[in-house]
Amino acid sequence: MQSSTILSVRNVCKTFPTRGGGVEALRDVSFSVARNELCVLLGPSGCGKSTLLNIVAGLHTPTSGSLSLEGRPIHGPARERGMVFQSYTSFPWLTVLENVEYGMKLNGIPKAERRERALHYIGLVHLTKFRDAYPKTLSGGMKQRVAIARTLANAPEILLMDEPYGALDAETRWHMQEMLLEILRTTQTTILLVTHDIQEAIFLADRIVFLSAHPGRLKTILELDFKKGKEIRSKEDLVELAGYPECEREIMQLMRGEAKLEEDA
Amino acid sequence: MTQALRTIPATRAKDTRPKLRIFEFKSEIPASWRLTLGVAVWVIFFAIWQLAAWSGVMPAILLPGPGKVLTALYTLFAESGFLGDVLVSVWRVMLSFVLACALAVPLGILMGAFKTVEAFFSPFVSAWRYLPAPSFIPLLLMWFGAGDAQKLALLFIGVIWFLITLIADHTKAVQKDLINTSVTLGGSRLQVLRTVVVPAALPNIVIAMRQMLAVSWTYLVIAEITAADAGIGAMMMRAKRFLHVDQIMAGILVIGLLGLICDYLLRALHAQAFQYLDEYS
Repeated sequence: MQSSTILSVRNVCKTFPTRGGGVEALRDVSFSVARNELCVLLGPSGCGKSTLLNIVAGLHTPTSGSLSLEGRPIHGPARERGMVFQSYTSFPWLTVLENVEYGMKLNGIPKAERRERALHYIGLVHLTKFRDAYPKTLSGGMKQRVAIARTLANAPEILLMDEPYGALDAETRWHMQEMLLEILRTTQTTILLVTHDIQEAIFLADRIVFLSAHPGRLKTILELDFKKGKEIRSKEDLVELAGYPECEREIMQLMRGEAKLEEDA
Repeated sequence: MTQALRTIPATRAKDTRPKLRIFEFKSEIPASWRLTLGVAVWVIFFAIWQLAAWSGVMPAILLPGPGKVLTALYTLFAESGFLGDVLVSVWRVMLSFVLACALAVPLGILMGAFKTVEAFFSPFVSAWRYLPAPSFIPLLLMWFGAGDAQKLALLFIGVIWFLITLIADHTKAVQKDLINTSVTLGGSRLQVLRTVVVPAALPNIVIAMRQMLAVSWTYLVIAEITAADAGIGAMMMRAKRFLHVDQIMAGILVIGLLGLICDYLLRALHAQAFQYLDEYS
């Protein structure tokens, strides 16, 4: 069942209404995400990748097209599609432990189970020492770890991440990316992640869905064959891998091609 | 080589320490300066007041010095039962303010959270905000007579509209991503309102209360000098009849002090209740 489809996006279009008739953000986008896969949505700015993720989350409705998770149509936000945002969303009035328990509390998980699951995920993101701390004492990276633990503890069927490391400095970003891979090795998770960082995409993704800009359309889907069967734990592992430079160059050219089209248009 | 890598003697560092300048944009000053300056402004104020009283630009009966006012204040409390007036005033401000909050907090939060509620109430609230509360005094006198009800009503009208508007604005400013986080974790509308919108807006709502409580004190005197029966304002009107300027000034002093105490208490409450915030804003 490794490659069974969990999320399917079919012919999604999105036009935001404006005074001048509307801005077309997405045109006829179709792709699917397989169970336990990390799928990255990549593309130049203005390609509508965040809009697409928000549609999957149920925070926006598509103008046309359909989406389904495990065969069930998606209507509005729900627990099964947990989301981690680029901005820090730890609730400042709750401690780390209370933040991670928050989603489970909403869903009526009994207290003992809630506590146990929260502590497990807090351990997974290396925040056990800070379980009783308030977010104001945490760094940006730690706040994002709280958000990831909180969403995972809520047992979503797919984890949606909208440029989760975009606000972090370069070094913290590495650590966060490596930690995400570490979590994926120990838990069965399906992730759909949006980024505009090419190296981040290659490092994390099993598959990259590349969108072109204005309006956002599906340009190509990249299977990262050179990573298949390789144990990649750190950025160094990736950079040393045969096939990495070619892959990075190919995506850079895709990005640049998009930029050139913009200029010509 | 000695030219390329030259160490600067440690003693030199002392000389290059930045000098504390009196006028520096937005930079912190030592606590001792703050205290000294804060006391100095009052010393200067009382000195000018005393000098003016001595100079005789105005008859002593119209401009008593600070000493006379403090004596009057003491006499008021010790001999004229002024404490009763003060308690009546405090009671009026508190009761009317609690009633105003009981309406403004839920309504403001709902207006800030839901555009439909805002669209319904906003034109109404905005219109009332521009009507000066004292203009209702004749009406209130006819409806409620000269007793407590009229005073409470004026104080209520004086703060309620601004309170609603401020609370609605603070609720509107709650970060959208916090709400979306709760929603994507499975939160229902009621859960999001209760567990995200309210706690996120609460610190600023308390600040709005602090600001409007100060306004409530200013309306107190207006409420009490019309149809004066009891209260600080009533005492001041009685004093005016007998040209007791020192007592009028003592009344102003007491209102100022009470306002300061209220402000301090709400500030302390805020600091205590919202320790999780980065800093007091």
